[in-house]
Amino acid sequence: MSTIAAHYYDGKRAQRHPVTLVLAGGRLKIVGREVDAEFEASRVRVSTRIASTPRWIFLPGGGACVSGDNDAVDRLVRERPLQRLLHRLEAHAALAAAAVLLVAALFWGIVDYGLPYAAARVAEHIPVEAEEVLGREALDGMDRFGLQPSRLPPEKRAELAAKFEALAALAPDAPAYQLEFRTAPAIGANAFALPSGIIVLTDELAQLAEADEEILAVLAHELGHVRHRHMMRHLLEGSAVALLVTGVTGDVATATSLAAAAPTLVLQSKFSRDNEREADAYGLALLRRAGIAPQHFSAILARMEAQAPRGPMLPTFLSSHPATEERKAFSGSGGNQR
Amino acid sequence: MSASAQAVSASATPERVVRPEFHGSAAEYFRIWIVNLLFTLLTLGIYSAWAKVRRQRYLYGSTRLDGDSFNYFASARTILKGRILAVSVFLAYAIVTELYPVSTWGFIAAGIALLPLILVRALRFNARMSAWRGLRFDFPAKVREALPLYLGMPLLVIATFGLAFPWFIARHKQFVISHHAFGSSPLGCAIPVGKVYGIYFRSGLIILGMSLVAVLGAAVVSPVAVLVPKVGWLAFLLPVAAIYIAYAFAYAYLQARVTNLAWDNTFGAGVRFSSTLGALDLAGLYISNFLAIVFTLGLAVPWAVVRTLRYRLANFAMLVSEETVHEAAPGLVNIGAAGQELGEIFNLNFGI
Repeated sequence: MSTIAAHYYDGKRAQRHPVTLVLAGGRLKIVGREVDAEFEASRVRVSTRIASTPRWIFLPGGGACVSGDNDAVDRLVRERPLQRLLHRLEAHAALAAAAVLLVAALFWGIVDYGLPYAAARVAEHIPVEAEEVLGREALDGMDRFGLQPSRLPPEKRAELAAKFEALAALAPDAPAYQLEFRTAPAIGANAFALPSGIIVLTDELAQLAEADEEILAVLAHELGHVRHRHMMRHLLEGSAVALLVTGVTGDVATATSLAAAAPTLVLQSKFSRDNEREADAYGLALLRRAGIAPQHFSAILARMEAQAPRGPMLPTFLSSHPATEERKAFSGSGGNQR
Repeated sequence: MSASAQAVSASATPERVVRPEFHGSAAEYFRIWIVNLLFTLLTLGIYSAWAKVRRQRYLYGSTRLDGDSFNYFASARTILKGRILAVSVFLAYAIVTELYPVSTWGFIAAGIALLPLILVRALRFNARMSAWRGLRFDFPAKVREALPLYLGMPLLVIATFGLAFPWFIARHKQFVISHHAFGSSPLGCAIPVGKVYGIYFRSGLIILGMSLVAVLGAAVVSPVAVLVPKVGWLAFLLPVAAIYIAYAFAYAYLQARVTNLAWDNTFGAGVRFSSTLGALDLAGLYISNFLAIVFTLGLAVPWAVVRTLRYRLANFAMLVSEETVHEAAPGLVNIGAAGQELGEIFNLNFGI
């Protein structure tokens, strides 16, 4: 027989009654000045133990008892093994420290492998056609602001298009693409891949290049973005990161928007850099197939960087592209690191 | 107004001041939080429903008012169902609006149309899952009652280019508080709209003044960025940080003053309430929480939660003028968690 000091609430009126719980012979007796009730112990439901918070003993008929004497309540009803395990995990500082390490490892695994892998697999199953509206609108938008029709001679454009087509044909897995020529005084020498396989090459880049191989090197990199569905993956990763960050910081209601923005930015730019590296590797592999020296890629990267307008320099962890030094070293090695 | 006057006249009899107390600790909550996070990651999010129940039960169970702790009743299964729906809607929204930008308008329209329903159901779920002294809270408002406020007022706000916004906020807080009930005892709330306008006006001044300082500061610092490009990003970051701090102060001011005003004008059977949040205190909490969370890579989240809750509870009081034994509302039926979960994932804060 064991007794527990508790409070009784009848569930109908918000009034506290001090009582003593007595468990004997499979029956739970509740004895107090104004209370005298008895229930079959098997029909009583006890709340799970959470740290030092008081335990609720729910009685048939809507009444309840509350007791802060957790150990005594544990003797009354044996918790299920899983609940006991949870409580034990939460009770020890050493286990909490271990949980921190495990969470860090899991987080790193999810961010570095799990998420990009899952996004790549899912993206493969989404038809490219789904991106068409977005790609068209993106190009239209850029045509309205910043891009103008190319002023390169038509012969030059045809020549570049043909050379790129021949290069892409060498790839065993070349995706469908659509090469667009534009001049972009505001943007300068650049090339970019838009959704649905649109690749835009600026006249400024074509003029900056000292050899067609340099232009092809950049286009091969952009083809890598198209092949690996980076637009779609970026989108999927972005949504997943938003959910992940909400999951971690979600209960700091007041600081959520502020505290969630920073990790989202850092994670997004990490994924972006990973995509750039993947596109570099794809482009360099394609150049190797075509017998074009990878140094052409580092040469044009160096010239683009030298020519780019000097904006504020972002630290690497916030940058969408890997450091140019790293990319030059990678292409210098022939792209064999990955 | 007449209602608050009534409450003041009732205070002629000596009032008993009851303040909620938090009996938990950041260390204890940290251990619960990290185990929750671990299992949530291991189960790819499924456990998050159970995690939420444990978190709420810890925070409710550690909070005592007049000697009795609160209790949180929600079942993890109910929350999981709501959460699955909410995550599905969120993913559909995130991906479809990105691929077909036009559809954003459709989502916004659907969101606005469903807001009254989501809001009422979310508040009802939370209220019914909360209890004190063995008695559940309730939010018996009908969706029909929420429609004119949440569909009509936003139109007015747009039509007046935002001038009606403080009025909308006053009506919103009043709606949320006055439709809450403890058992069968309803709460009453009458917020003076003029005072809310004053609060918004002053918070606008705070943003304006501090932004001006930020811009001037940026003008002073920017030459440094040109001279030393290595730290150029700092010059870019500083004004942004200054604007964020200005925003945090204005937001804290709004939060503190509007919350105080709302509770100071709230009354129930034999009780009225008082709230004494300080704008500077809250701003300090927000900024230090943010810094602590960033520099500990998130590990300070439980500490931030506990200290914020402690501060809020310490500045809340129930003034009892007449000892009343509140009675249960008859026949509460169960309610799903979809509204509550949708609100949480889209970062809607219905709270008071």
